[in-house]
Amino acid sequence: MKIGVTKFPGTNNEQDVLRALSSFGVEGVLIYEKDADKLKDLNALIIAGGFSFGDYLRPGVIAAKTAIMQELPKFVEQGNFVIGICNGFQILCETGILPGVLTTNRSTKFVSRWVYVKINKSNSVLLRNSENKIWRIPIAHFDGNYYATNSQIIELKKKNQIALQYCDEKGVISEDSNPNGSVDNIAGITNKEGNVLGLMPHPERASFNYLGSEDGRTIFQNLIEELK
Amino acid sequence: MVQWWFVLEQLYSGKAKDVIILDDEKVKIVFRNSISAFDGVKIDELKGKGEANCKISRILFEVLHHYGVETHYLKQESSNELICKKVEIIPVESVCRNITAGSFCRRYGVEKGISFEKPIVELFYKNDELHDPLVTEEVAIRLGWINEKEKIIIKAVTLAVNYILREVFKKIGLTLVDFKLEFGRTTDGKLILADEISADTMRLWEMSSGEIKDKDRYRKDLGNVVDHYNDIALRLEQIKELPKIELKTKVRVTIDLKESVLDPAGDITIRSLLRLGYKQVSKVNIGKSVVISFTSAPGSKLWDVTETISNEILANPLIETYSIDFSFE
Repeated sequence: MKIGVTKFPGTNNEQDVLRALSSFGVEGVLIYEKDADKLKDLNALIIAGGFSFGDYLRPGVIAAKTAIMQELPKFVEQGNFVIGICNGFQILCETGILPGVLTTNRSTKFVSRWVYVKINKSNSVLLRNSENKIWRIPIAHFDGNYYATNSQIIELKKKNQIALQYCDEKGVISEDSNPNGSVDNIAGITNKEGNVLGLMPHPERASFNYLGSEDGRTIFQNLIEELK
Repeated sequence: MVQWWFVLEQLYSGKAKDVIILDDEKVKIVFRNSISAFDGVKIDELKGKGEANCKISRILFEVLHHYGVETHYLKQESSNELICKKVEIIPVESVCRNITAGSFCRRYGVEKGISFEKPIVELFYKNDELHDPLVTEEVAIRLGWINEKEKIIIKAVTLAVNYILREVFKKIGLTLVDFKLEFGRTTDGKLILADEISADTMRLWEMSSGEIKDKDRYRKDLGNVVDHYNDIALRLEQIKELPKIELKTKVRVTIDLKESVLDPAGDITIRSLLRLGYKQVSKVNIGKSVVISFTSAPGSKLWDVTETISNEILANPLIETYSIDFSFE
């Protein structure tokens, strides 16, 4: 089993992801901008969070145009798993692999805090056995405001692609529990086939009790079990 | 055998040139010896004039190609014929002026020979009955003669052509006073430089003496018109190495958030403006502006490149719109 974790200039979450993987006995491989040819040896790719290429034009857009990301649609089509966390979610949207885009938080402030998300009925095995669970998980972003057109949202709902929604402790999804202005409190989505998951919250930072939560472990656990 | 009506249908005769349509892609432009001035009040035939202008046009089109300006020119067919891309000529021509002369002096009551620090570009409506009147950009667009994109391309290309030709003529001791350009749309809708660039369509003065070398010799009855045309052609022909010219086209892409998308920065800013007492403010939208400098000439190709860059990287079409502007300095 070979799981790659991307490290672009400005990525700063790759070590946390590697640590979460290694707690399951899996050593992830760091994948750099110029490693497009290494994709074919991987069974899964995790696009770690951070500020790839400085976030200047729009978050994720420059990373989305690198050779390795241009190869990603093929990798996805072959049925391999791809998880984009935070900046990774932004990159996946900019490549067009996932619909929509992440824009500036409604508050115009960087939001770094614990939130609750509700796990919906999902088309993805990465969220197996989690339906209706409420996770406590941290977010840390300036551009996490998910936007998609009405027709895209309808399409996402139809195929159970809205994987995670911001909610309160009791699982109530409302404006009050929306930390960034995302349409329908969307915190994460999957592609139609379910092998790609993009989410703004950081499951790798909620993978150990000493960090305050291990709700995020489920995603890595499901991935590893699926690849066994 | 070609029937006469067929020939007629394929031939467009102008004041100094004929255009023969060869096929869907190409035309043949025949430079005649006819010369006229003052809207056809003065008309003559000058032996060798067609050939001289054909040669000047050919050389100048080749010079412009060397610097990356897109034109309709393909090749020279004979001493007075050029093969060019078939284009639909637009009814708006541009004039670029470095020094005051001709109609500009009459229109504004200014003296001839005043140098401008920066060249002036004017647009004219091509219409003989109306004597080719000056037209504003707004009118040319609103009357449907050109669109916004074509306006931007015409202006930038005219300035680039001026920048190039001024240097080239300087090398052979001539001052480029002003010139006229015509543009046409190719079959796939791209605007490119067309018609001719010759001693009939520009003013050239001898640098050392100020002697007139162009069609003004005919208008003012100075004589030896063709001799001077031939001299221009000869001097152009003898250029061994074209001057090194660094072109710089500045392209500005302005990106705006679509109305339907939340604009947190705009919302925060309007709150501040209202707090400061600007009660008449109703909405604030904050976009961004990207300026890219290219080392290539402006034109339809550069426009396409800019559109691709904008669609792929600069703007996200889901939430943003963009507009393009060229400037050539």
